[in-house]
Amino acid sequence: MIYELCNLLMELSERFSFCRLVNYITFRSIMAALTSVIFVFLFSRPFILCMHRRSFWDQVRETGTHSAFDKSGTPTMGGLLIIGAVLSSMMIWGNWHNPFLLCSLAGMIWFGLIGFWDDYAKVRRHSGDKGMSERTKLILQSLFGIGFAWVCVGTYAPLGTLATQLYVPFYKYPLIDLGPYLYGAFIFLFVIFVSNAVNITDGLDGLAITPSLFVVTVLAIFAYVEGNKIYSAYLYYPYLRGAGELTIFAAAFAGAGLGFLWYNAYPAQIFMGDTGSLAIGGTMSVLSVLLKQEMLFPLLGGLFIAEALTSQIQDKIGVQWLGRRLFYRAPLHHNLQHIGIAETKVVIRLWIVSGILALISLATLKLR
Amino acid sequence: MNYLSIAALLIISLLLLVFLPAAYRWHLLAGRELRVLLTGGGTGGHVNPALAIAEGIKQREPGTRFLYVGVRGKAEAVIVRRAGYPLRFVSSEGFPGLRPSPASLRFLCRLSLGICQSIVILLGFAPRWVIATGGYVSAPIICATLLLRALRLSPTKIFVHEQNSIPGQLNAFLGRWSDRILLTFPQTLSFFPKNGVVVGYPVRHSIVTKPKEEALEQLAFTIPEKRQVVFVFGGSQGARTINRAIVDALRHFIPHRERLFIIHGMGLNKSSDYHAERDTENRLKAQYSREERDLIETFYYRKDYFHNIADVYSVSDLVVCRSGAGSLNEISHLGKPSLLIPKANLPGDHQVMNARAMKHSGATEILFEDTVVEGNEVLERVDGSALAERILRLLNDPDRLREMAAKSLLFLRRRSNERILSELFEDQNYNNGTGFHSIPFKPLMNNHRLLHLLSATYQASPGDFDPVRAVGDEDDLIYYRHRAAALLTHEAWQDRNLGVKLVGLTRYEEKIPALLLMLTDRQPAALVKRLFGGDFKQVGFIRRNVVQALQVLNRFNAEIEQSLLMAIADPYFEVRAQACRAAAHFGFLLAGKEQWLQALLACLQDKSFEVKAEAARAVGEVGTDGRAVEALMALKEDLLWQVRDAALRGIKRLMERRVIAPSEELLSQVGTFVLTATDFSPHFSIKATYRTIQDCCREGAVEEGPVQSPALLPDALARKPR
Repeated sequence: MIYELCNLLMELSERFSFCRLVNYITFRSIMAALTSVIFVFLFSRPFILCMHRRSFWDQVRETGTHSAFDKSGTPTMGGLLIIGAVLSSMMIWGNWHNPFLLCSLAGMIWFGLIGFWDDYAKVRRHSGDKGMSERTKLILQSLFGIGFAWVCVGTYAPLGTLATQLYVPFYKYPLIDLGPYLYGAFIFLFVIFVSNAVNITDGLDGLAITPSLFVVTVLAIFAYVEGNKIYSAYLYYPYLRGAGELTIFAAAFAGAGLGFLWYNAYPAQIFMGDTGSLAIGGTMSVLSVLLKQEMLFPLLGGLFIAEALTSQIQDKIGVQWLGRRLFYRAPLHHNLQHIGIAETKVVIRLWIVSGILALISLATLKLR
Repeated sequence: MNYLSIAALLIISLLLLVFLPAAYRWHLLAGRELRVLLTGGGTGGHVNPALAIAEGIKQREPGTRFLYVGVRGKAEAVIVRRAGYPLRFVSSEGFPGLRPSPASLRFLCRLSLGICQSIVILLGFAPRWVIATGGYVSAPIICATLLLRALRLSPTKIFVHEQNSIPGQLNAFLGRWSDRILLTFPQTLSFFPKNGVVVGYPVRHSIVTKPKEEALEQLAFTIPEKRQVVFVFGGSQGARTINRAIVDALRHFIPHRERLFIIHGMGLNKSSDYHAERDTENRLKAQYSREERDLIETFYYRKDYFHNIADVYSVSDLVVCRSGAGSLNEISHLGKPSLLIPKANLPGDHQVMNARAMKHSGATEILFEDTVVEGNEVLERVDGSALAERILRLLNDPDRLREMAAKSLLFLRRRSNERILSELFEDQNYNNGTGFHSIPFKPLMNNHRLLHLLSATYQASPGDFDPVRAVGDEDDLIYYRHRAAALLTHEAWQDRNLGVKLVGLTRYEEKIPALLLMLTDRQPAALVKRLFGGDFKQVGFIRRNVVQALQVLNRFNAEIEQSLLMAIADPYFEVRAQACRAAAHFGFLLAGKEQWLQALLACLQDKSFEVKAEAARAVGEVGTDGRAVEALMALKEDLLWQVRDAALRGIKRLMERRVIAPSEELLSQVGTFVLTATDFSPHFSIKATYRTIQDCCREGAVEEGPVQSPALLPDALARKPR
């Protein structure tokens, strides 16, 4: 909104030349981040109260019992706050003609809606298990996966001919051209896997949000580099025209996440729910694909991958097929808790791990 | 030329369409007598009610023509011929399930062939009613009738009789299109709310009580005087379980041969996997010497099928049989005391439900069958000595037999034949709706609900856990035990695992050897599974749960001890941990045993912290000397606080058990433990307060706290409103 307005004013008169500030991505990024933080701070308390009054409580454990030692009855669906903050911030600071931005927003909203449906079903049926069926969830995620893959390799692709090239970290040149079908299938699986991985990670207070802050921030830096002709040439990145807009989006996202952490930190006043975790997962996967950093994600978001893999290996291979446990417990954070590490400690240790992973990933900017 | 031929074809087809049905209807009306087509079979339980209905119709309309349609080689081929009804065969096959397979293809072929045959039969015979009594035999006829009705070629009405409380697959599916479903049990009405009518079970006219002397003369064999007669049979087809059990039981009857007589109906089954007569003869020869057989012949008579079953019933003092609806109703009709052996592993457990209902009215006793693996086969089995013991006990108690007989008479819904006829002939004035007493029918729990209930009860108070109290009925518990034991023989490990848990929680002590066998079985799993970390056929969960079940069973002997020693060295960590837990549980029995102390000390060096911690706790229960204390002290700098905690608990137990004396020196040693922990329990004060209010409101009990007197209250509160 402001972006459009300023551009309009600049065309009108020389007097408004200070408005060219909005053409600087750094300025808009900072403003976007601040806007979403302020949004979250403004609306969190009324939102939490509203959720509480409507009994939109976390339904993991039995309802109606308030044990003195657990956190049952905490309001959920905090993801709505994050989505709302990012949307309003982008409303103000975004360039809505940019295809990169539209793709990312679509991913966030689509996955947010899936998560919202799931949360809502759980709350309505008063049970943590009776949310949306696994199959429905997967079908809806696949719909987006297919659509997004089609956009990526299709004629409207924001990436153009680069789309089907596969880049790997620590290597300058594209490794292989996968062709539209193979690459489309790859994107499809990637999007579904990442979104569910975040969903699994979201099990302890603040565990999902901070690592995704790291991921999104690193991706914001990549977006800035790749969207900048000089830096991209200097660092041997393919120049992606318009990708700079993703910096603003990622900044808004990071701001919203930071604001959310304020309330979500242990002991949480609100949970993000599937609404939040799926939206975050969807956003991160779309961002990585658009910035050609799909292969960096296993490193950058290594925590999410580890959580998803331990959970799947334990459940599908161990418990259901072999009839034994392969880890003490799964996913990873429950294993750590089982070993006897307190929730707060587990969360902070995993933050540290994901921070280190983010730093290593950032090093690939130059180490290629 | 072309047009002409088309016109001619049209006219001919029109003529065919209009005149053929008309001609056929004429054919229907031409035969003035009532024609009834009977179908259903496979077992006597389906054939006999059809014959009973036919008898009723014949009495009311003597000129009626009947035709029975069945499948070659089944019970109907023998019984119906003997009863003198014309019999024709069609092709049919049992429904193999929805999954596509060679069996389902064969089913489709057989069924369509059967339907074609049935159409021919129906067009030729032109019945007014089709009466089907269930079993897949009746499928082609019902389908064909429905087809002809849809083509307006037949005004035939379809009546289906359902004998069981839970309808068979075929009746449940085709029943909705038939004109009336005649039901035996009121509970079945919920399956057929539109066209269901409760009529009871039609009993053949030949099933009438005769004076014993008269019946004795009718029999083809002689029963010496002053004998108590036991009639054992497993339905028209015969039951392998019952046949084998009674042969085994004969040994126990030899001492009582002067006072009892066994009549054994072996059954008509002559299929390749079980030939009733041959199997029984072979078993007799294998089990008994020649002299014994001669003795046995003096009180034992066997035959494949008794067509004059009423006579056999009349002379017998006790009936031992399956609890199919047919047998039950005949027994009840004649007022006979019985010992029922329900067939296990049936859909809906309907034989068990029938037997429970009858047992509830006090008319019978139940003996459940075991499921065991013999070679590669899964078989149901009843122990011969147990059967003999039950029979002898009943025969020795004439009062009980008399009481059972009296109650048996009350069990049946009477006049079911009249009710059925009133439905067929549409008698308006006959009141069908009343006159039924419904059987108290508490549904059986499925295995998962049972597990949930029992494990919750056990966890609430392991000390005074009593499965009988939890389940509420001893007979039900016995049945659940057998069902749980049957699970142990399943192929899928998930089922066996469930079985292990249930055997433990139902405290089925006879199965402890089977559990121990599973625990120590070292048959390897498939190679693929081993590559991914699997080990044995009895997977890790099963072995862990066996150890847990042994703990729940709370029994201990040398065999269990040996198996536990094996479990404590198991390759899977959860089994080792559970075995350590069991060692702590049985600690008072193991205390001082060197072998156990060594095993537990070895576990203290385990890679898995769970095993370490459990072993440390167990050492506290088992240790009797300084080595235990030393070993526990060695854990003082362990990485994980849970292990250190367990070690401290172990030391505390040693102190409580007076193995070590509390002293300043001990304290200074314990003081060297690393006491920092990485975990804590959060306490949310507001939730605790809420919880106390909640408890007060729910239980109504307010704890007496200090009450402030009005004098102490602030003025503003103490002042009374004016």
